[in-house]
Formats: sequence, structure tokens, C-alpha cells
Amino acid sequence: MTAAAQQTGVARADLRGEIAISVRDLYKHFPIREGALQRVAGHVRAVDGVSFDVRRGETVGLVGESGCGKTTLGRCVSGLTDPTMGGVYFDLTTAENERIDAILAVPENGRTPEMTADLEDIDRLHRIDRLKNKEWLRYRRNCQVVFQDAFASLNPRQLVREIVGRPLKVHNEASGNELTERVVELLERVGMSRQHLYRYPHQFSGGQRQRLSIARAMALDPELIVLDEPTSALDVSVQAQILNLLNELQQDLDLTYLFITHDLSVIRHMADRVVVMYLGKVSEAGSTEDIFDDARHPYTHALLRASPDVDDDPDAALVTLEGSVPDPARPPQGCRFHTRCPVATETCGWEVDDVVRWLEDEQGMFETLTDVAREDAFTADLVFSDESSAERLATALRSESVPSAAREALIEMKTETTRVHVAFKPVPEIELTRRGPGHVAACVHDQMPALD
Amino acid sequence: MAVETAVGSPVAPVVGGLKTRLNRLGELSREVLGNPTTLIGVILIVAMIGMAVFAPLLIEANTPNPYQMPRDWGALNEPPGTPGHVLGTTQQGGDVLYGVIWGSRISLRLSIIVVSITVIIGLVVGSLAGYLGGRVDELLMRVVDVFLSIPELIFALAIAAVLGPSFGNIILALAAVFWVKYARIIRGQVIHIKQNEYVDAARVIGDSKLRIYMKDVLPNSITPVVVQATLDMGNVVLIGATLSFIGLAEAGLAEWGVLVSQGQAGISAGRWWASTFPGLMVFLWALAFNLVGDGLRDILDPRTESKR
Amino acid sequence: MTVARVSPEPSGQIAQARVVASVVDLKIHFESKAGRVHAVDGVDFDIRDGETLGLVGETGCGKTVTARSFLRLVPMPPGIHAGGAVFFRPHQRCANCAGEGCVECGDTGRLPIECPQCLGGGCHACDDTGSETIDLSTLPDRALRDIRGDRIAMIFQDPAKALNPALTVRAQIAEVFYQHRTTELLERAGLGSRPNPLLRRHITQRARTIERGLLALPPLRSRRDRIERVVDDLVAAALAETQIPNPLKVMARYPHELSGGMKQRVMIAQALACNPDLLIADEPTTALDVTVQARIMELIKDLQSRHKSAVLYISHDLSLVRRICDRVAVMYAGRIVEIGRTEEIFADPLHPYTRGLLAAIPSRSHDRGRLVAIRGTVPELIDPPPSCRFVARCDYAVEVCGTIDPELTSGPDQHGVACFIHHPPDRAGEVPSFSRRTS
Repeated sequence: MTAAAQQTGVARADLRGEIAISVRDLYKHFPIREGALQRVAGHVRAVDGVSFDVRRGETVGLVGESGCGKTTLGRCVSGLTDPTMGGVYFDLTTAENERIDAILAVPENGRTPEMTADLEDIDRLHRIDRLKNKEWLRYRRNCQVVFQDAFASLNPRQLVREIVGRPLKVHNEASGNELTERVVELLERVGMSRQHLYRYPHQFSGGQRQRLSIARAMALDPELIVLDEPTSALDVSVQAQILNLLNELQQDLDLTYLFITHDLSVIRHMADRVVVMYLGKVSEAGSTEDIFDDARHPYTHALLRASPDVDDDPDAALVTLEGSVPDPARPPQGCRFHTRCPVATETCGWEVDDVVRWLEDEQGMFETLTDVAREDAFTADLVFSDESSAERLATALRSESVPSAAREALIEMKTETTRVHVAFKPVPEIELTRRGPGHVAACVHDQMPALD
Repeated sequence: MAVETAVGSPVAPVVGGLKTRLNRLGELSREVLGNPTTLIGVILIVAMIGMAVFAPLLIEANTPNPYQMPRDWGALNEPPGTPGHVLGTTQQGGDVLYGVIWGSRISLRLSIIVVSITVIIGLVVGSLAGYLGGRVDELLMRVVDVFLSIPELIFALAIAAVLGPSFGNIILALAAVFWVKYARIIRGQVIHIKQNEYVDAARVIGDSKLRIYMKDVLPNSITPVVVQATLDMGNVVLIGATLSFIGLAEAGLAEWGVLVSQGQAGISAGRWWASTFPGLMVFLWALAFNLVGDGLRDILDPRTESKR
Repeated sequence: MTVARVSPEPSGQIAQARVVASVVDLKIHFESKAGRVHAVDGVDFDIRDGETLGLVGETGCGKTVTARSFLRLVPMPPGIHAGGAVFFRPHQRCANCAGEGCVECGDTGRLPIECPQCLGGGCHACDDTGSETIDLSTLPDRALRDIRGDRIAMIFQDPAKALNPALTVRAQIAEVFYQHRTTELLERAGLGSRPNPLLRRHITQRARTIERGLLALPPLRSRRDRIERVVDDLVAAALAETQIPNPLKVMARYPHELSGGMKQRVMIAQALACNPDLLIADEPTTALDVTVQARIMELIKDLQSRHKSAVLYISHDLSLVRRICDRVAVMYAGRIVEIGRTEEIFADPLHPYTRGLLAAIPSRSHDRGRLVAIRGTVPELIDPPPSCRFVARCDYAVEVCGTIDPELTSGPDQHGVACFIHHPPDRAGEVPSFSRRTS
């Protein structure tokens, strides 16, 4: 702990909680504006109901492909964006964490005044988007970020001394010579040296810039660091250096990491626990061993089997995943993954939008569809421009070209000249269920059924 | 190498940083001067500014107002080469050389004042619009749109005509017209730069909005403004000369546009010198700044910047 | 200077295949303010018909410059062709089956062109193979344009940047057919080989505005439309090959309306449209998600086995390369340091750099924080002195490593390596060895 940190009283010893970050029912929606008047036509549901904890001293890996919402979630946790709903709590004790869970489990109108008061107290002291003054400063000093593109995260017109020393300056911890010495200390910690003080970012290599980024993040002696794809843009050998460095720092300084990446091999190497995201929600979460050796969600399986590993048998075929990620403004019903899942069942949320998507892929069918009259997400009338197209759809829905699970979920289908009425069995959103200590997955299957 | 400064001395960080920044400046200068056309521009500018600054030393100031053309009733319409009047005299007996030299002072004044005012106003408006966004942005940009829909020259003419012919009014007119350009440039740059991760990084550190603007956004947005300002130093004089040519400045002013206008009548009679030399100066001034401005634009282009 | 050739007597199935391209001592340098950068400094390798050769290395090793020099896509200046050649044996459409595939052409639809000098007998110019051999680095522009897109095709890393945002998918792929398949288009449209010159100009995309107007008028219009329909069919067929669902719909789309994986498929469709002899893939999956990446790689593998074209696969990802490449060449600082069959390279890496790379990849076998990182950084390649370029980062370097360049020498099983540990120099002095770490 540095002398200056001791002075300002916001050193690590002050932090009492065992839970560094607690994400509770987090939603982040971005409005889609259309038209001359910029009306809101819908929302991109980047993060759509996420909850998880990051305990002190551990590394939590947040994985998923592009569009899953992990970067947005990272920005909410680091305070760069405010959530639309729900909250991110900083530095809670286990007791407080349990209290929040208990209160949030009860709907708002059913809460006692005591509950509401408790929640407000906790919010005031720990909820990131409600913090003010001293509490805000404490959070800000203790939660830092390392970004993906090291070049873009360093001001090209500032010297290293200014960049790395800026946190110290902003929080009035040091200036002049003392600042220089502190910066040199930080540089040496990340494997660089005094001679780099008076240079510009563009004079360094990618790996060195990332080190500078890390040095800056360490300046205020933080408790938690959010790393957003810190090594994705680096060569393998440079990545190895950076990962080793991050590990060393974590050991020496008892740091907590939220490690966001799409690279599964890096996650397996760095993380204690893993949270897998798909289309704005958590599809599976658990310890690293759980996820890699005992995955319970088909998406997790797909990710694992699609990532080539140097140790794997080279002749084992890469299992590929069909389809593409659906529109985040209209996430699928039931389980969001059902549109691409190789083991989907009839209770996985088949809906009208699935039919529309099939029509889009069939030659010549989409053009003849004139209207979709929806009653709700599961029931609708599809109107075509001619009878033969309607017939084609009706036949297709009974044939092998549609997954059998979908056919089973189709409880009603009537054809009337150019209209086809379809009704699927309505299914609620598939929630995360417990699979073991600390292991949850949102899937109707208990165990992964055999695929091949 | 250079001076060894004891690390413990308070001067060390200043010296270290200064050294790198001076190096960078040196690099840039070498690039600027390396391009032949830019070099010519720079030489011309230095010459003309030198002429403006040292005017009283080059030619004796007229009394009581040095910016009024002197009248030598004994030497009307003298051609160039007559003793005492190297470039000839005008119809009113004014020394053309005097007009050329003192005119440069007026031009320098004009361009510095107008460019400074317009850059500052444009910066403020553009930055507010770009940085704050939302309604502020909408409102300010509508104002800018209104100004942009009026042709520059006509607008300047209208203002100057309404306020009355005087050099000061020309300055006002030009300022009123030119600031919108900067507002738009800066707004675009600010919006673009705002999205960079180093701005996010500054927010995560906990820096204040104003400081982030001053240290991260502004310095990285300023390049196109610098280029435009350089070009405008030339253009302002061009348009200013046009305005005074049409008669919006006081008669008898030792200003290039006025001189061109007054010397016009004599051209058909073969007295080319009274219009030509001042006209040539306007041309050279505008040319010089345009050359340097273009050169700067090539060098400061962000694509080439990041390669270095 | 004698060049050590790494592929003398190939064995196995690949051996029967001919060498379709040969890079011989290629040197490409760049003039910069600081001096001459030796980006590619004496690179040798062969690509055989039907094989996938991986070119692996980290940033700055020269792999992209090497790949781009096949099609002369390296801007010159500041690039300089400082030496060496890129030999290529173009094929032609098999007349027997009109490109569909038959016994005669080994089901590829392509046959090598006879060497004009020896008429197939074998001579110096064609390296005794009897097939026409051309040097891509000195070929006149016009001839190179004919080869680009037709005989050699390239797919790039970022499909968003490689596709023209102003053209529909159909227009983009059709360009390839217009440029290279003029006669075939005319044949299929039933217009014979001597059509109206205006039609010909329409096909080669040289019709001026007035001419285009004339082509819209009735007499020529129906014939033009016939050509367009043929093009439509060909484009749809090319897209269908890449397993794009509903090609007709995708054809009418613009690139920005497609997902990353779809864009990449479009690019692959465009590249394979003319059944090229060589496909150069420059990190085609780096910009894609992991699951999409798997699909694209599978697609490339599948298409390659069907067309039997050769593939030069550039990547920095060793795990990917392991899965689809038959042979791998490892590049470092402008040179090839190791080359051989994929299984060999991974089972028994010979060069210290290759070993370092493999050890740096995070995997099951590594404890946390114990990734073996190669110390130091890639050297500046400005006027490098004669020495092994890896010497500053090598744990086994000795004096001789810093004084002469090791040459790429082939060992048993065509496993070539440029390192004194395996091929000691013939001069007195200490010889490096894996059993003696010097740092």
C-alpha cells in the first residue's frame, strides 16, 4: 500500500466486502431511432437481464462472441455507461449481498418498508450509478480498466509520463518530481523503464503499449481491474508476456479481474470462474473446470468445439454451428439459442419468427409473403400472395426440412386459401438453473445429450 | 549529448518533456520545409510579414495617419523608376511602394484579427455542440446552417454596406461570415475524437469533463483547424481586398484593394503600375498562405501521423 | 549464390502433384526514413498442386508481403523488388470436359499449359517439367491482370474492407466472369464467337454510356439479356458452392447488409469463381467469431478438395493452421526458419523460434502465469548484418549464430530448418545445441 493511498484513507484495507462486484438484473437497451422525426422504433437489447458476482481476489472470465453484450456489460461495470435497469454494486459484504438477493426476490409492491429502506441504504453506498462524492471517489479509484486497443487508449499527443501519471495528478496524489518517481516505479513494475518516460505512444510496439495501459491502470493501486480483450490484438508470444505479467500483478497485489474476451484458450488459462453470454443473457456460468470439462449448455459446447486447441487431436473435426446470431432487437422466445441449437426440444421456444426466418432462406418464398398478422409471439396468420405459396409453407411445416422439435411445438396449423394460421406452444423465458455448486446453465436439458 | 540534468532537480521533468516536444517540432518543421512548394510559401510569408512589421523602417511613415496614402501633388501619375518613387505614383500622387509596404501591415492586421476572432468563436460553438451533443448540438447547428446558407461574399457585403464603409466594419463582416466554418470543422472532429478509447480511459480515471476536453479532445481535434486557419489567413485578405475594391473601405486608405480600385481608371491610359503592384501583392499573399496551408494539411494528415 | 531447395523428392500423394508455384530467393525491401527495411529477405518455398501450405509468423515477419507479391499487390515505391522470383505454372480449362472435371484432368477441370519453348519436352525455361512457367515478378501488367482473379485468386482478412460497398454481391462476382470468361459467356448465351462488337464491349465492361444506351434498344437488348442471364446463373452457382442459403436473394444485397461470415463467403465465391490454380488466403478468419471461423475453415477445406486447387494459407494462429494445412512454413524476420509437413512441425519442432511459439500458446498443459514467453522483440530489419535473426532472443545461441546467416536446409523427411543446431556450419568453433542453454 502506498504512503499516499494510506493518507487519503482509501487504501485496500478500507474495503471490507468480500464481493468486489455484484451485478443484479442488469439491463442495457439502446434505442433505435428511425425516420425524420427520430422516433424510437425499438431497442437493441445489448444486455438483457444479467446477474453474477465477482469475488475479491478472483478472476472472472466473461466470454461470448461479438454481439453477445459482454463489452457493454464491461462498460456498465466500469461506470462508463449507466444501466437502463438493474444495478452494479461495488464492494459488498456477503451479508449485504444476500440481503439484496432477498429483497430483489420480492416484487416491489410486496416489500416491507424495512426492506425498501435497507435497499436504499445499500444503493446509496454501493450502487455505482447512485454513488456520490466520497463513495464515488472510492469506487472510481478502485475500479480501473485496460482496453483492447492499446493504441487507441493512449492519447497520441501525450508523453508516457503524463499518460501514466495522470491518475495521480487527477486525484492529487503527487506532482512534479514525486510524480515522476511514482511513474518510474509503475513502469518498472510492468517491465519497462525510466528511459521510456518522455516518449510518445506511437514510438512503442503493441505489447509495450499494452504494458503502459496496465501501468496506468495500476497507478491508483486499485482493487478491481476490468480488462476488455487486453490481448486480442497481440501476437501469441507478446500475449504470453502480457498474461504472465497480469498474473504476477494479481498475485503480488491481490487484484480482482473481470476478464472479457472471446478467446477460450486465454480464459481457460487465466480465469477461476467463467460466465458465458449469448445475445444479452448469461447462458452458462461456473468454475473454469465446470465450463470446460462439464459444460451443460449447447452453446458452450459449440464454442468449445469450434475453438481449435493446439493440444487437440488434429483430425477431430471442428464442429460447426449453423445459422447466425439473431437480431438483438428481437431476441428469440424461450431459449435464445433455440434457432441454432442442435438439440432443441419442443419446449425451447419455437415461435412465429422462426417460420419467418425459414421463409427468408427458402428460394422464392419470402417474396410472396405479404403480411404477418401476429396475435402474439407464438400465434399468427401468414398471408401470401397466392395459394400455392401458402400450400408450400403448409407442406414444409409438416416435412423433414423443419426440425422435429419445432413440428412437435406446432400445436395448430390451418390453411385457408392464401392464409396459413400457425400456433406454437407458448413457453416462458428459459431461466438459469443450478447444476452444481456455483454452476448454472439456462437449458431445458439436464445433461448434454449426445450429438453425433 | 545535451545537458545532463540531475534527476532530482525540479527542472528534470520539464527538460525531459521539452526535449521530446522540441524534437517533434523539429521533425515537423523539417518535413514542412522539405516540400519545395511549401518552402516557397514559407519564404514569401516571412518576407511579407517582415515587410509589415518593419514598415516604418523601410519607408517613412506618413503623418498624421500612416495608413493614409501620402500625397505628393508634384508627382502625379509618375511611372516606376522616377527618383523617389520606385514603383511610380498614383493619380493622387501617392507612392505606390508606400502603398505596397503599408498595405501589408493592414493585411496582416486584418488576417490576424479576423482569423483569431473566427477561430475562437467557431471553437467555442463547435466544441459545445460536439462535446455536449443533444439539444445544444441541434440548436447550435441550426444557427450554423442559417449562416451557411448565405453566400459569404454577399453576406459580408451586406453587413459592410449597412454599417458603413470603414475598415473596421470589413473586419466585422468577415468575422461574421467565416466563423461557421470552424464551428463545423471542430464539431465534426470533436464527435469523432470523443469516441476514442483514450477519452474513455480519462473518464475511468475520474477526470473532469472540462479537463478531458482540454487535454484529450481539443489537442487531437485541432489539426484541421490549424490548416483551415492558415488557408484563411490568405483568403481573408483576398475577400477583404474585394470588399475594399468595391468601395467599402475609406478612400485614400493605404490598402491593396483600395489601391487596385483607384488605379483602375488609369489602366486603359497605359498607367498600369498603380493597380498592378498592389494587385500582385494580394495574389502573393493569398498564394503564400495557400501553399503553406496545403503543405501543412499533407503533413498533419492523421493517416501519415500514425505511421510516424 | 546457391539456394538450398527444400523440396527435392516429395513422397506420397502430394509428390505426384506438380509444383504450381515456386518462390525462389524472393527479396522485397522498403525504403523508409530510417533506412532500407528488409521485409522479405531471401524466401524459398514451393507450392504443389492440390496442397494447402500454411505460412505462419507473427506481426512483421513478412508473410503478408510475401503473399501479396504473388499478385504484385505490394506498392512499389516504397517497396523495392530487390531480388528473386515468383514462378508460376498457369493451367487452362480442360477442353475434354469444358472445366467440369474428367479423368483426363484428374477431375480438376484444369490442365497445365504446354511450355512454348520445348513444347512439353522439358527444358531449362520450364525447369524440365514441360509446363509453361512464368515469372510473376517480371510479367507485364496486362498479362498479370489476366492471371489475377482467374488463375490466382486472393481472399483477404477483413471482408468488409475487401468488398466494394457500392456494388451488389451479384455485380461484384459478375466482374470476375466479365473479365476472364468472355468467350465462355458468349458460347453459353448462344451468340457464337463473333458477336456484335458492342456486345463484346458490354461483356468486357468497356461500353461507354452511349453504347450502353444502344444496348438497351430492342435489337441488341435481347442478346444482352441472354448474356446477363448466363452471368446470373454462373454467379448463383458460385454462391451456392459456398453453401449460402438462398443465393438469389443474397445476390441482390449490398455488402453492408450481410453478416461477417456471409461477406467472407461472398469473397470466397468470387475467388473460386474461375476455378483458380492457386488461392491465397490472407488471414481469412481473423476478423470472424469463433463459430463462424470454424464454418469458413471447413468451407475452404471442402472447396479445396473439390477443386483441387493449391492454397497458400497465411495465419498467425498455429492451432488453426494445424487443422487445415498439409505443410507449414514458419517465417521470422523476413526469412523462412522452418518448413515441413504439419504433423512433423508440431510433433517435433526443430527451430527454437517454432518451439517458443508453440510454448507460448495458452493451453491445458500450462500452469497459470507460466506461459513460456520468448524474451525480447522482433529486430528492426534495417540493413541487418549477417547473422541469425533470432540470435538475440534464442536461449541456445553461440558465437557463430551472430556472425553468419543460417541457410534453410532440408533434412530427413523434407523437414527443412535454418538453424546451426541441426545443420552446423563447416567452420571451426562452438556448435549450438538444445542441451546447452546459453542464457
